[in-house]
Amino acid sequence: MTRVEVIEEPSLDGKRSALVLAEDRVGHYPEFREFFIRRFSLDTNGLSKPGYVRAPSGMIYSLVFVGRSGEPFPDGLEVYALVDALEPLSEEDVDTDLWAVLTWIIQGIGGEWEVEDLDATGRLYQLPLLSRHG
Amino acid sequence: MKVDPAGSHLQSGHFVHEEWPYEPRFKRVNSWRMHYIDEGAGDPVVLLHGNPAWGFLYRKFVKPLTAAGRRVIVPDMIGFGLSEKPVREQAHSLDGHIANLTSLLRQLDVRNATMVCHDWGGPTGLGFALSNTRRVRALVIMSTWAWPLPPAEFHKRIFPWRMMHAPLVGPYLLGKHNALAGRGMYLSVVDRKKFEEEAQSVYESVLPDPGSRLLTWTWPRWIPLDETARGYQRFEWLEHELKKSRFPTLLVWGREDEVFDHTTFATRFKELLPHAEGPELVTGRHFLQEDSGAEIAEKINNFLDRIDGRQP
Repeated sequence: MTRVEVIEEPSLDGKRSALVLAEDRVGHYPEFREFFIRRFSLDTNGLSKPGYVRAPSGMIYSLVFVGRSGEPFPDGLEVYALVDALEPLSEEDVDTDLWAVLTWIIQGIGGEWEVEDLDATGRLYQLPLLSRHG
Repeated sequence: MKVDPAGSHLQSGHFVHEEWPYEPRFKRVNSWRMHYIDEGAGDPVVLLHGNPAWGFLYRKFVKPLTAAGRRVIVPDMIGFGLSEKPVREQAHSLDGHIANLTSLLRQLDVRNATMVCHDWGGPTGLGFALSNTRRVRALVIMSTWAWPLPPAEFHKRIFPWRMMHAPLVGPYLLGKHNALAGRGMYLSVVDRKKFEEEAQSVYESVLPDPGSRLLTWTWPRWIPLDETARGYQRFEWLEHELKKSRFPTLLVWGREDEVFDHTTFATRFKELLPHAEGPELVTGRHFLQEDSGAEIAEKINNFLDRIDGRQP
């Protein structure tokens, strides 16, 4: 599985944003929120722009950070695939990409959050993609 | 009976299954549409499920309890079963779910009720009982808890519990892949082959889309892990009020329950409620109703007969 890389503002010409995952409480474990603040300079950027990552399929995803009055920022996070405007998504690619993004997040958080535990959890719940990739 | 593996139990919005022939009923609670069944006549027995189940978990209970002259009410929590399923995490709170149940049971003017509490049906059902003491006469408690700390050791570990519902991992694993209603329940019964043949697709099929599964990763986030947790004070209140209560109580636990193990959790309830009967152990992991439904229903009937003086 190739790695996930953060990229700067990609061209959005001819693309649409397809919502593929939403999290209403990114700070449930605060180290997740802190990872996004650190990785995307949210202390400086705030709501001004999304983060972008390129995933193993080559597809680019935008990470849209959501604020909520009375809660530390970001409170929520929406993940959008940037796909050719009139073309359907490959669900298999998105599934594999999202798992890679989750792996990248857990790696970036570190400490007690370990990729081995993410993989073990995925295997326990028999994620189809883990059997596809052996 | 083997169920349709395609899980097509929902037909035109109605749930069709030979083991669940009950008329669907609905009430508005706190602006949400709550599904419940209401069968039989007599003093009510309210059967409360938790995560990620719904009333179907009690399919082996309804007939023996109604046949014994009891009214049986089985609500589906808002977010589960055939009830409305909010799509925002902020729609859910422990207090909100207690208030949902309170709304339903007050609308039905339930009195002299026996509250049968399992998993999150524990904190919600006990929350109702302890704030509506005049409407409740007895408790049956199974595989749950009602105090702030600590939860089971299992709930503190990253693998698999905290990882499973972690930010973004929860919506992916439990949302997109329905891991808790499928594999999660499968792992939490004793007779897995029977569960797979009879029930697994039912639990999976009533949560057909990722958005409909939100409560499966939201409820785990409401289990307090430290004193700063949401709900911590409500659990303190539950423990405090439960300790003062004198409801006749029956504890029933699964012998093989390794999450809410009986030596820790049933014992703790016994300390809070020294007058409680049990724990009566049956074959079962966390979802003990799947392995021992008819046996537990009989235990409830016998317990209530004893309260009513119909049995020594």
